[in-house]
Amino acid sequence: MTSLDAHAVVDAVWKMESARIVAGLVRMVGDVGLAEELAQDAVLAALEQWPEAGVPDNPGAWLMTIAKRRAVDHLRREERRDRGQERLAHDLVTSVDDGARDVDDVLGALDGEVGDDVLRLMFVSCHPVLSTEARVALTLRLIGGLRTDEIARAFLVSESAVAQRIVRAKRALADAHVPFEVPSGPERAARLSSVLEVIYLVFNEGYSATAGDDLMRPSLCLEALRLGRVLAELTPDEAEVHGLVALMELQQSRSAARTGPSGEPVPLHEQSRGRWDPLLIRRGFAALLRAREAGAPLGPYVLQAAIAACHARAATPEETDWPQIAALYEALVRVLPTPVVQLNRAVALAMAYGPRAGLTLVETLTGEPALKGYHLLPAVRGDLLARLGRHGEARAEFDRAASLTRNAAERAVLLRRAATCAEEAGRANTAKAVKAVNAGRTGQAGPAETVNAAKAGKSGDTAEAGEGGPAETAGQPPRAAGRADSAKRVTPAATPGGRTGGRRAADAGVTLGAAMRLFLARPGLSADTVRSYNQTLSRLCRHLGEDIPLRDMTSHLAAEVFAAAWGTAAGATWNRHRAALRSFASWAAEHGWAAASLAAPLDRRPEPRARTRPIDRSLLRGLWERPETPLRERTLWLLLYESAAPAEWALSLDVEDLDLPGMRGEVRTRGHWLRWQSGTAALLPLLVGDRRRGPLFLADRRPGPGRMPAVADLCPHTGRGRLSYERAEYLFKRATRDLDPEGGGYTLHRLRHSRLAHLGEDGWSAPMLMSLSGHASARSLHGFVRVPRPADTVA
Amino acid sequence: MRFLMTTKGTDPNPDAAMMAEMGAFIEEMTRAGVLLATGGLEPGGVRMVSSAGEITVTDGPFTEAKEAIVSFALIEARSREEAVELARRFWRIVGDGEGTVQRVFGPEDAPGPGPR
Repeated sequence: MTSLDAHAVVDAVWKMESARIVAGLVRMVGDVGLAEELAQDAVLAALEQWPEAGVPDNPGAWLMTIAKRRAVDHLRREERRDRGQERLAHDLVTSVDDGARDVDDVLGALDGEVGDDVLRLMFVSCHPVLSTEARVALTLRLIGGLRTDEIARAFLVSESAVAQRIVRAKRALADAHVPFEVPSGPERAARLSSVLEVIYLVFNEGYSATAGDDLMRPSLCLEALRLGRVLAELTPDEAEVHGLVALMELQQSRSAARTGPSGEPVPLHEQSRGRWDPLLIRRGFAALLRAREAGAPLGPYVLQAAIAACHARAATPEETDWPQIAALYEALVRVLPTPVVQLNRAVALAMAYGPRAGLTLVETLTGEPALKGYHLLPAVRGDLLARLGRHGEARAEFDRAASLTRNAAERAVLLRRAATCAEEAGRANTAKAVKAVNAGRTGQAGPAETVNAAKAGKSGDTAEAGEGGPAETAGQPPRAAGRADSAKRVTPAATPGGRTGGRRAADAGVTLGAAMRLFLARPGLSADTVRSYNQTLSRLCRHLGEDIPLRDMTSHLAAEVFAAAWGTAAGATWNRHRAALRSFASWAAEHGWAAASLAAPLDRRPEPRARTRPIDRSLLRGLWERPETPLRERTLWLLLYESAAPAEWALSLDVEDLDLPGMRGEVRTRGHWLRWQSGTAALLPLLVGDRRRGPLFLADRRPGPGRMPAVADLCPHTGRGRLSYERAEYLFKRATRDLDPEGGGYTLHRLRHSRLAHLGEDGWSAPMLMSLSGHASARSLHGFVRVPRPADTVA
Repeated sequence: MRFLMTTKGTDPNPDAAMMAEMGAFIEEMTRAGVLLATGGLEPGGVRMVSSAGEITVTDGPFTEAKEAIVSFALIEARSREEAVELARRFWRIVGDGEGTVQRVFGPEDAPGPGPR
C-alpha cells in the first residue's frame, strides 16, 4: 500500500475525475447544484473509508460508482415523494425500479457518453446568464475539481466570496432552467467563445502571478491548459479551440524565461530563448496545425497563436519575422478590431518597416476614446518619435504617458526617457541618427531594472500584451500595469529605418529616401504592400543614393537601375517592381516632387503562367481511389500530399523513423518531422508489414551486383534497395499522364505544391505552411498564402 | 509539476491486447497533455565515467537485466498523488513489474525567489 496521505490521494483522484463524475450526475439528476452535492458525498465517503480500508484499486471508478449510486438513491426518493413529477432521468429510475436492469448496467450504459456530458457541463458552467467571475469559479470548481479555498487563493479573494459566487451561480442556472446540452446552430459559436474566454481568463490570471504569490496562482496556467486540452479533445473540429490551446502552450513555454532572478519581468526580446520549453513549443505548433486542419476562417485565437509561433520560431530576437507578424496583426485587426490590437500592430509595423510606418498608424489612434487615458499610447508614440529624431515631441509624449500610468516603476522609466529626449532635443546639429539609437538603448535598459522595485502585481511578459493579450480577447480594457515594456518593444535598433528615419529632406528638394519613407508610411497600406514597395524603392536608394533629390531622378536613371537589378528577372518580378515605381511616381507627382512619367520607359513584360500550377483537388481524389495503383505508390503520393514535404524527404524515411500513432516520421538528416493525416495513416501499416528497419519505400527489384547501394539504403528484410527519386518521379508522371492537359504527367514537386496551394486556399498562413512543409523561407511560399497582396503589384 | 516514470527489467513478450490497451492509454494521456514524452530504452547502452578529468567510455550492458531501466515516461501532473495514480493505471495495464516515479525539478524549484 502506498504511504501517501489518503486525503491527498482523494484530492488528486477527485481532481482527475470531477468533470466526468459531475457531468454524469448532472445528466442523471438534471441540476448542477444537486449533482455537485452528490459528488461531494462520494468524496466524503472516500475520505471516511480510504484511510481505514486503503485506497481502492481503481479509485476513480470507485468514486464514480459511489456518486452514481447516491444519485440513483436520490432519484428513487424523489420518485416516491412525487410520482407525477417529470424529471430528466425519469426513465432511468423506473427501469431501475422495475428491476429490469441492474444499477450497474444502467451506469455502464451512461459511461459511453461521458465525453459529451463533460462538454455539456463546460457549456453550462460558462453560460451567459452567469457573470464572468461566476463562470470562472464554477468552471474551475466543476471541471477542474478545484476546492473553494484553492480558487480563493488563486484569485486573491476570500474563500467565502468564492463560495458565495458558486452558490449563486448554481442557483442562477437552476432559475434560468439552463438545459444540459451542447448548443447548436448560431448559438454554438457564441457560447463556445464564452467557454474559450473563461479558459483564457484563467490562464491569464495565472500568467500574471509573480514571485511571492501563492503557488495556486501560477498553477492556474496549467489548469487552463488542461481545460483547453480537454475541450480540444471534445471538439476536434473547432479551429479556435486548438488555436487557444496553441496560444497557451506557446505562452507557457516561456514561463521560465519571462522572470529574472529577483522575480522581475523580462521582456520578450531580452529573454534567454534557451530557457523556453521546447516541449511546450512543439505542442503549441502541433495544436496550431490541428487548428489549421479544422479549416475554419482564421479566428482571433488562431491568429494570436500564429503570432506567438512567429516569436517561438525565432532563435534570436533579430530573426523575428516582423513583416509576418505585422501581416498577422492586420488579419487580427479584421476579426478583433480593437484599438489595442491596432496599437500592437503599429508596434509590429515599426519593427518591420521602421518607426514611420508605425507612427502613421499610431496617429490614427490618438482620437480613440477607448485608449483615452491608456498610457501605452503616448509611450509607443513617444518611442517612435524618438527613433525618428523628433525628440521634442517625444519628450511631451513620455511625460504624458508618465502622468497616465499608475505603476511607479513604469512612471520612473517613462520620466527617464522623457529626460533623455529633452537632452537630445537640446543638442542640436549633431548626428541625430546615432543618438536616436542611444536613446532607444537607454530605454531598453530601464524597465527591467526598475520593475522589481514595484509591487508589479500584474507585470507579466509584456510581449503577450503587445501581441494582443487576454484582455483584448475578453473585450476588456487592458490592465494598466504589466504592459511596462510594450513601449520598449519598439526600441531595439534592429530596423534600418530607425537609423535613417531621423534625417530630413534637404532644403534643396525632397530626397528619394525621404519621399520613400513618406510614401511607405501612408495610412491604409497593407504590410505586404509596404514590404513589396519597400523592396523596389530600397533598391533605387541603393543605386542612386537616398539623398538624391527627387527632381534629379530621371526616368532614364530609373530605367538603368531596373535593367541592372531586374533585367534578367522573371516577367512577374519585373512587373511588380514596375508597378511599385509607377505608384510611387504618381504619388510623388501629386506632391509636385517628381514627374509622373518616371516609370514611362519601363515596358510591361509578359508573364508566363506560373511554373507550378496546382493539380485540381478532384483529380487527385480520383487518383487516390484508382484501384490499380500499387500500395507503395498510393502511400507515397498520399504521404507527399498530406505532408506537403519534399519527395526526397519522404523517400529517405526508414521504417524506424516512423511514429505511426503520432502520424509522423522523422527526417533525420533534416531534423524535421514529416506529418501526415488519416489517408496515409491507414495505408502505412500495410506498407510496413512485418518490416522493422530499413527504407520505407523500396524498389521493385533487388539491386544488381554492379550497383550496390549503401547499407542504409538496403532493406535488411528483403534485400531490396531504396526507391529512387527518379523512379518515383517516373511512376507518378506515368500515372498522371492522362490527367495532365499537357500530356507529360505531373511531377512529385507539383504534387507537393498542389497541397500547399490547396491549404493556402483554405486560409493557411505562411508560418503554418512552413512548419508543415519544411520550407525554410516564407518567400518560397508566397504563391500559396493568401496574405492580402497589393492589387496594383499583381496586375 | 513533472515526474519521470521509469520501469525496470526485461520485457516479457507483451500480448497484442495489452499493446492495444497501452496504445490507447498513451494516446489518451498524450492528448490530455499529461504525457509529455515516452519511450523504450536499449538494454545496456554506453557507460561514461568522468574521473579526475579523464573520461572513460565503455560499451554496456552493465547491470543485471532486471535492474536496468527499460522505458520511461515524462508526465505533467498537479501533484505527486496524481502522478502515482497515473502510474497505477499504467501498471494495471502492464501487469507485473517494477519501476519508480520521481519528481523532475523545474525552474519553479530554483532556490531564492526565482521565476514567479
